[in-house]
Amino acid sequence: MEENTNTKNDMNTLIGNTLRIGVFTACIIALIGGIWYVVSTLGSALPDYKVFYKGDESYTTFEGIFKSVFAMSATGWVQLGVVVLMLTPVMRVVLSLVDFSIQRDWLYVVITGIVLLIIVMNSLVGVG
Amino acid sequence: MSIIVFTILLLLGAYCAGLLGSLTGLGGGVIVIPLLTLVFGIDFHYAIGAALVASIATSSGSASAYVKEGMTNIRLGMFLEIATSIGAVIGAAVALWMPTNGIAIVFGAVLLLTIVLQFRQKADYVNVKGSRLAMKLKLFGSYPTKEGRSQKYELTNVSGGFSVMVLAGALSGLLGIGSGALKVLAMDGYMKVPFKVSTTTSNFMIGVTAVTSAVVYLQRGYIEPGLAFPIMVGVLAGAMSGAKLLKHLDVKVLRKIFAVAILLAALNMIYNGIIGKF
Repeated sequence: MEENTNTKNDMNTLIGNTLRIGVFTACIIALIGGIWYVVSTLGSALPDYKVFYKGDESYTTFEGIFKSVFAMSATGWVQLGVVVLMLTPVMRVVLSLVDFSIQRDWLYVVITGIVLLIIVMNSLVGVG
Repeated sequence: MSIIVFTILLLLGAYCAGLLGSLTGLGGGVIVIPLLTLVFGIDFHYAIGAALVASIATSSGSASAYVKEGMTNIRLGMFLEIATSIGAVIGAAVALWMPTNGIAIVFGAVLLLTIVLQFRQKADYVNVKGSRLAMKLKLFGSYPTKEGRSQKYELTNVSGGFSVMVLAGALSGLLGIGSGALKVLAMDGYMKVPFKVSTTTSNFMIGVTAVTSAVVYLQRGYIEPGLAFPIMVGVLAGAMSGAKLLKHLDVKVLRKIFAVAILLAALNMIYNGIIGKF
């Protein structure tokens, strides 16, 4: 029992730290990209946010975002921050999956797997 | 307005949204949408994208502390995330054909519901006998009390809670908000989970629910970098200040004042939706 509580606490600490580190990393990346974006657009007019316009590939597809990150595009880096932010809760689910497997709690391995599957499937087919 | 002035104003606005969201327990996303659409006049789609980013950031940021304290019931959260993520898929699909003005009206209605839920009588159930399904799913647990003891609890009505969670997920997917109030209702109202466990587990779940629809909205172009970064940074900083202030502040009066503000925002949203302004 004693050992069980310890491993549970270790896992909670690991999940907690993952969430914290993920969010702060995402914020720092987005902030660097954002400051860079503001500085590089000094003097140009504010984009019209009153009308919705679907942006191009460089920030609406994962491939496009990575391309613009390597091309050192400021908005690309902001979107990278958003992607890291989005990966943070996903990582948390993956860690739980590992944790439940270590505990041999197969019911919750399946439950966690279903959640992961829904997220992945939706990102592939839900765009519409 | 130049980009730099706009960005600074947005940062300040997002900071206030995060601060108020955390002090009142409403969450950042709910305040970001009226802020962007009604105050800044930004298109609703962009506002939904920004609210999702705000929801993921605040949920993950605050959940990290609660998980370490052992308040959060990870099994319960994970099981109910099946419901919220299915709901989020439905919500993001509905958003494709629902006109923006319709979405604004639904948002106004959800704001009204949130106020009602915030002021409902909260009963903390003790000695709840777990239902058979709940025991089969290992949905029970313990949490540390103020006196430092470990309080055990069981829960009931799994299917009722699960159904409300599908709805919470759908609204979250449609509107970009965390639906925290509805998640808490599902757990403490239906399943009789202790209040403290319900709120922390709800917070824990919001990130995954929001990500399920965010992966879609990012690809639909709702997440605009020029808006995403001031919102992400501002809301998170505001939420962190809020969490610190909460320890020293009695927020009862603030919550009442703020409920009136939210009520006005809700009516404004519904009115503008009906006259077709969005």
